[in-house]
Amino acid sequence: MTVNALELCYLSMSELGRLIKKKAVSPVEVARAYLSRIEALEPRLNSFITFLPDHALAAATQAEREIQAGRYLGPLHGLPFGLKDIYYVRGIRNTSGSKLFDHFIPDFDSTIAVRLRQAGAILLGKLNLHPFAYGATGENLEYGHMHNPWNPALIAGGSSGGSASATASAECSFAMGTDTGGSIRIPSALCNLVGFKPTYGLLSRYGITALSWSQDHSGPMTRRVEDAALVMNAVAGYDPHDPTSVDLPVPDYTRGLTGDVKGLRLAVPKEYDEVPIHAEVKKSVWKAIEKLGEMGVTVSEVSWPLYHYHMSIANTIQMAEASAYHSRLIREQGSKLHPLVRLRLEAGVFISATDYIQAQRARALFYRQSHDLLGKYDLLAGPTLPVTAFEIGVRQINIKDKRTPVVPLLTQYTRPFNLNGFPAITVPCGFSESGLPIGLQLVGRPFAEETVLRAAHAYEQATEWHRRRPSL
Amino acid sequence: MGWTPDLSYEEFLSLAKTLGLNVEEPHRKELFSYIQEVFPGLRKIEELDLSDLEPMTFPSPLSPSREEGEERES
Repeated sequence: MTVNALELCYLSMSELGRLIKKKAVSPVEVARAYLSRIEALEPRLNSFITFLPDHALAAATQAEREIQAGRYLGPLHGLPFGLKDIYYVRGIRNTSGSKLFDHFIPDFDSTIAVRLRQAGAILLGKLNLHPFAYGATGENLEYGHMHNPWNPALIAGGSSGGSASATASAECSFAMGTDTGGSIRIPSALCNLVGFKPTYGLLSRYGITALSWSQDHSGPMTRRVEDAALVMNAVAGYDPHDPTSVDLPVPDYTRGLTGDVKGLRLAVPKEYDEVPIHAEVKKSVWKAIEKLGEMGVTVSEVSWPLYHYHMSIANTIQMAEASAYHSRLIREQGSKLHPLVRLRLEAGVFISATDYIQAQRARALFYRQSHDLLGKYDLLAGPTLPVTAFEIGVRQINIKDKRTPVVPLLTQYTRPFNLNGFPAITVPCGFSESGLPIGLQLVGRPFAEETVLRAAHAYEQATEWHRRRPSL
Repeated sequence: MGWTPDLSYEEFLSLAKTLGLNVEEPHRKELFSYIQEVFPGLRKIEELDLSDLEPMTFPSPLSPSREEGEERES
């Protein structure tokens, strides 16, 4: 091998896949490089809840045999990855981030786990998360907090914090997260990753611990946009086990990554400027939007009045659905839950059936206005987050002399697209003065994943932000 | 049955018991404070005119949404 172990771990999926395909590196060699990196970094990052070195080496050995025998399965064959610990894998414990499920071993696979296995990807382990995916900071008192590779004293974000810290630090080639209010995009933006939440119904939710059925999404977290497209190629598509899965043809998501965005129409909601945001984040995001303008995208400002209602609607639905899903747990083992998660779950019990249905009616209105808005534009753009990563344990942040609770702050730009289910991506677009990553969020029409990926890829390739690495 | 803006602490305790929650001190006070802090924000939905709208249980992009001013089919 000519590439050293660290460089091997930091290769993009497409680069690493090419080396494996032409037998320049072996899957076993690749797996060993990642396993060593995990062992070296875990004391600082705590990305994994369950580390599976033996499983990974056995799978890598099998991949090596298959490739040597000429049975190459495609671009993910031999690539090591991690799954957020709410994706069921048969025979491997699934904690959902809570010690209450420390010994729970599912007897079936999530559809996403099956598809990644069929694509030849190598599972390295199950990744840490905010308990039950119910939180945006990536804090976990039971399995330990997740830490940001750019500064381990800071949050990695949540709820898919382990997926973000592992991918950003090259403990894995890519990871899968889930996103109910921003849980893929928030940690991805905080850790300088690409985080992609496709349209509701495109990726199966089967075998994934639920938080809010009607707002839960699965999606990839990667270091490059092209890598997200490669994962999409392996996991997207109809699943009869998921009642909300949509039966549509799955394109090759890498096909549109041409770098050409001329003629696309992009809108920035003026309401994004009416909520708290740090000045340096705003500056970086506007520079990114201007860059897209220079590349041939038409940029307009639009009004989206119902934006200011998304939090009330989405929270009502989420609180009711989460409490219903965890109903037995709340009543029988409530006192053993993470204190803040317990408060959220118990509070949901007080949402009445009428409140829940009114919120669903309001969602119909919200959906219609979002749909109308994107009828005139190809993309919405704005910040993924209003802030950069902050210290673990912080509950309120000062913006323009106003103290703001962190959870609504972290989700203010991401949650609308869980409510309406539109595809949304975060892509690195800058760094703060203190060296912390900033993300640009691009949103498309339902099932316009190719447009979203095309724009994100073109921006990424025209800039250098994605090339920076944390100094671990 | 659910939260109302004028819910007193005693009514909250009674409601919690009815809903099957086993909340002990000091947690019950924390839960009451949390609910009093979070729920008023949820009532913003009441500002919206929801007449003529049916619940959207899941985001369903394939269901055609009625355009502004379009007549409803009978």
